[in-house]
Formats: sequence, structure tokens, C-alpha cells
Amino acid sequence: MLPVTHYLFLSFALFFIGLTGVLSRRNLIVKLFSMEIILNAASVNFMAFARLYGDASGQVFSILVVAMLALELLVALVIIAAVCSRWKSATPDDAKDLSSQLDY
Amino acid sequence: MLNHILSAFRTYMHGDGAVLLPEMQLFLFAIGTLAMDSWAANTSSEKPGTNLVFQQNYWNPAIALAGTAFSALTLWMLRARIMQSGDLAGFHLTLVVDSYFVFFSALFLAATALVILLSVNCSTISAVRQGRYFALLLFACMSMMLMVAAVDLVVIFLAMEAVAISAYFLAASPSLSNRTPSAAVKFLFSSALGSALVVYGFSLLYGLSGDTNISQVARALGGRHNVAKVIALSRQSGPQGLQMLQLLQSRLPEAVRWHAFTLEALPIAAFMLVSVGMILKFAVPPFQAEFNHENAETDFGIPSAVILYLSGAFGIAAVALLLRLLFTIFADSQNIWWYIIAGMAIAGISYGGLASLRQTNLERIIVYLSIAQMSYVLLGVVAANEGAATAMTYYLLTYLFTVTGVFGMLITVRDRSTSAGTLNDLRGLRQRSPVTALLLIVFVLSLAGAPPTAGFFGRYFIFHSLLETGHRYIGWFVTVSSLPLAYSYLRIAVYAWRGTKSETESAAVAFGVSEAIVLGICVFVSLAAGLYSEPFTRMARYAFGQ
Repeated sequence: MLPVTHYLFLSFALFFIGLTGVLSRRNLIVKLFSMEIILNAASVNFMAFARLYGDASGQVFSILVVAMLALELLVALVIIAAVCSRWKSATPDDAKDLSSQLDY
Repeated sequence: MLNHILSAFRTYMHGDGAVLLPEMQLFLFAIGTLAMDSWAANTSSEKPGTNLVFQQNYWNPAIALAGTAFSALTLWMLRARIMQSGDLAGFHLTLVVDSYFVFFSALFLAATALVILLSVNCSTISAVRQGRYFALLLFACMSMMLMVAAVDLVVIFLAMEAVAISAYFLAASPSLSNRTPSAAVKFLFSSALGSALVVYGFSLLYGLSGDTNISQVARALGGRHNVAKVIALSRQSGPQGLQMLQLLQSRLPEAVRWHAFTLEALPIAAFMLVSVGMILKFAVPPFQAEFNHENAETDFGIPSAVILYLSGAFGIAAVALLLRLLFTIFADSQNIWWYIIAGMAIAGISYGGLASLRQTNLERIIVYLSIAQMSYVLLGVVAANEGAATAMTYYLLTYLFTVTGVFGMLITVRDRSTSAGTLNDLRGLRQRSPVTALLLIVFVLSLAGAPPTAGFFGRYFIFHSLLETGHRYIGWFVTVSSLPLAYSYLRIAVYAWRGTKSETESAAVAFGVSEAIVLGICVFVSLAAGLYSEPFTRMARYAFGQ
């Protein structure tokens, strides 16, 4: 069995990939995916620690994180879809040029 | 058969059910509002204009208000019960009913009731199917109460997400506004990032302790902290250091090579992730930073009542949860993290004050300043003594009512006579309606912390506890960084008092019944708590069971 530090490094890597994506990308959908990567990093952590302690609550937490992730994705995609139909783009920078026409 | 069901129900209500009863009532009323709404919409579409009895404009808020009233009544009964027989806990020790929960739940219920009253005549909330809006308010209130009741990381996470999802819909619902609210999109993204950071922090806490109950987590972290303290002591020269080194070698030989900081690093990382995530998630900062920055005059495209709810009740909920986590999980390492919190507080106060100077839209000014207001509460965490606990709850209590008063004023003035969107629209308010101008000035002075009002005592208690615990320099920093804040509030007061009105509009400001009730309550609290603060401080002291 791999020691828990391996999983921790994996999750740190995922966390930083996600954080970089959120902070550097402008496209809303890519930002959303990066946030999901951070949540997945947390999920990996929970599973690794649940294995370490032989405790089920980490697995429960991990399942709940996945459920919440799906729910949040749903809400966010609805809102992004509404915005895209208005802005004709998922990137706010493109929308800037349109803002005068759209009374926004 | 029926007897079995009834007795099972009765047992449930005496055990776990009692813990969840106020939330369940809100939930049922929210469902009721939704059902009523769709039913009324169906009947009125068949015979337009005939069904005056079931005018939705009044039925929906009435049901929602009844929900908050019932829930408050149950809360009152629970309060009597915990005074007699101690705190209740249920659902495998994941939810508790203690005085902290009762105080903050009452605050959330009051905030929700006030927002419901303010939304009745609000023209920006479209009259069509507005039952959804009231149901969402009740759902949000219910989730906030759950958030304060939860003492398990899993339940805290679920409640936080429930609050956030209600907030997304409240802020971005297209039926609430005919424009695409870019502020709502920004809010969605910062909030989602915040929840991701918080969950990562929770995963570290779980890894450090092997448990999700926050008191167990606190115990594990406390043990870790004690080991770190012993290691730090054993590095000192002198007899005490030598003694500690011997103790360490006999008890935990491998720890001799460790550095104290590496033991503390992961808890501090978890602390940073949780607190920054919470601030991103609920506090308003990101919410005003919009995609294009030229629009200091335009509003957010979100109804004012919703902005009030987001910047008032949601901010308070976030602070309440953060306080519970700080004072249980991170209580032992307070001497390490108070620097971080003090830095965040001072940064928040200066940012909110300075950024509000550039704005001319009234809603924007007040929302920016609410960042600074919430940062003041964090100063109480820095002091962290008994007086500070009372100061923080007193501050939140009075802040809720004064900020509701200001928003109520803005909603009334804008909806009833003319647009009071920007500072310039306030010109001549005194001539148009002296009462309105006077009320607005009372609220603004209270938020600024001027003496005869509630806001003054809030500040005073917090400063007092800071000085008591010897944080004199922080007091100076805060005083200096509060100057733009005070200027910003006084600017509103001056605009409302001075200047002649333009010739075009001359309508007087009239109050509806619901707005009059809200403003009456708010002005009562913000003056009474300033003139005679004893009952309010007693309420504030109750939150921490003192």
C-alpha cells in the first residue's frame, strides 16, 4: 500500500492546477472546470485519509462533495448559459465590447 | 397502526426532531409558498382580474412571514427548554441547540422577516410568480440556521452549500430582474471558489484529526499544538529547556528532530484555507468587483432587497460560522493566527472605505462599506476575551438593523417618488421629505459609529476589548484606516441634508405600511441601543451563554 504522502502530493498538485486555472483563465467554463479540479483534490484527500484511519466518514464526505459538485455545476451552467445568450460569449473580455449595445 | 406511527412521531419529536424543528417549519412554509404560488398563478390565468382575494402580492409574503413567526415561536420554546435542561444535541452529535444557535437563528429570522416586508412593494421584484422569491428567502434562512447549528464538518459543508445555492438563485434569477446581472455571475464564481477552498481546508482538518466532529478535531489539533509547544520549549537554553528535551526524548523520541513550525504548518494552512474560503464565499468583496470598472454609477442589476439580504444576513451567517470554528477548532493556536486575522480586518476596513470613495451609486457605496463593517467584527476575534465576545454579537445585532434601515430607506425613496440611485439624487431630500432625510441620517450616523446611536457602542465595545488585551497598535491602525469609511458615510448624510432639489421632481416620499413597520423597528433599535444599551448587551451576552 502506498503511504498517504503520495496521495497528499497528488492532491496538492491538483489543488494548485485548479487554483492556477481559476485565477489565470478568463473563460467562465474553464474557470468552472478548474474549480471542480480543486474539489476533486479535496475528494482525493478525504479518500486517502479515510483509508489511513479506517474511518467511513471521509468516504461519506467524498461522496457528498461529488453530489454537491454536480449540483453546483448545474446551477453554474444554467447561469452561464443565460449569460452567454446575452453576451454571445463565455469570456467576459469579449463581452466588454458588447456592453454598450446591451445596456449592461 | 396509527398509534404506532403517532408514538414513533412523538419519540422523534422528543429526540432528534426537537433539534431540527425551527428549520423544518421554515421548510414546510417554503413549500407552502411555492404550492400557493403555482395554484394562484393557475387560477388567475384562467380568469384574469377576477380573483382579487388571492392576489399573490399579499398572500405570498403573508405565508412567508407566518413561517418566520412560527419558527421564531418554536425557537423561543427551545430557548426555555435549554435554559431548564441544558443544550440539546441530535442526529449523532452533528447538530446542537445552544444559546449561540438560538441567538443567531433569531437574528436570521428577524433579517428574513424584515427583507420579506421590504420586498412586498418593491417594484424591481416582478409580481409574476414572486412566490419563488419568498420560498428562496425561507430556504436560505433555513440553511443559515442549519449552518449555525451544525458542529460536524460534513453538515457544515452541506448547510454552506445550501445557503450558497439559494444565494445564486436569489442573485441571478432572471425573473427577478430583466437585465443580466454581471455582479451575480461574479458572485457565483467567487462563491464557488470559496467553497472549493473551504472543502480543501476541511479535508486537511479531517486528515489531521481523523474525525469530523469539530470538538474532536479541536482535541486532536490541541494535542498537536501541545507537542509543538514542548518542542519549542526544548530548544530553549537553560534548565527548563533541558528538562523539556529529556521529557521529549523519553516520551516521543522521534520528535527531537522535528521543528515546531512543521507541526503547526498544516493546521495553519487549513486555517487559512477555511477562513479565506469563507470570506470569499459569503462576504461581499468580490461581488462588486465587476468586469468593466467604468460603471461607478450603475447598480448591480440585482433587486435592492436581495443585496440587503446578501450583505446583511449572509455576512452575519458567515461570521457566525467562522467564530464557531475559530473558537472551537483553532482555539489553542490563537497566538499564531491572530496576526492573520488582524491583517485581514485592517485590509478589509481600508479597502472597503477607500473603494467606496470612488462610487457614486448609493447601493455600491453601502455594499463596499459593508466589507469594512464585517471586518470590524474580526477585530473582536483578535482580542478574544469575554468582553470581545459580547462586543461582536452586539455589533452584529445592531449592524443588521441599521443596514436594513439604510436599504429600506433607499428602496422606499426610489420606488415611491424618484430614483435615488446615486448620491446626486439625494439632493434636496430634506425639502422633499424631512422625515425621510432625518431617518436616513440616523441610520448613516449609526453605521459610521457616531455617539448617540447603536453603532457607536458597537465600535466602543470592540475597541475596549482590543485595549484591554493590549492590542494598542492595532487600535491605532484601525482608527486611521476608518477615516475614509467615516467620510464616506458622512458624505451620504451631507447630501441628504444639504442642497436644493431639482425643479423636475417634487413628489413627496410616502411610506407603505410594510416599509413603515420595517423602518420603525430599525430606527427604534439603532436609537434605543445607543441611548439605553443594557437590554441589547444582555441579549448579546446570551449568545455565548454568559
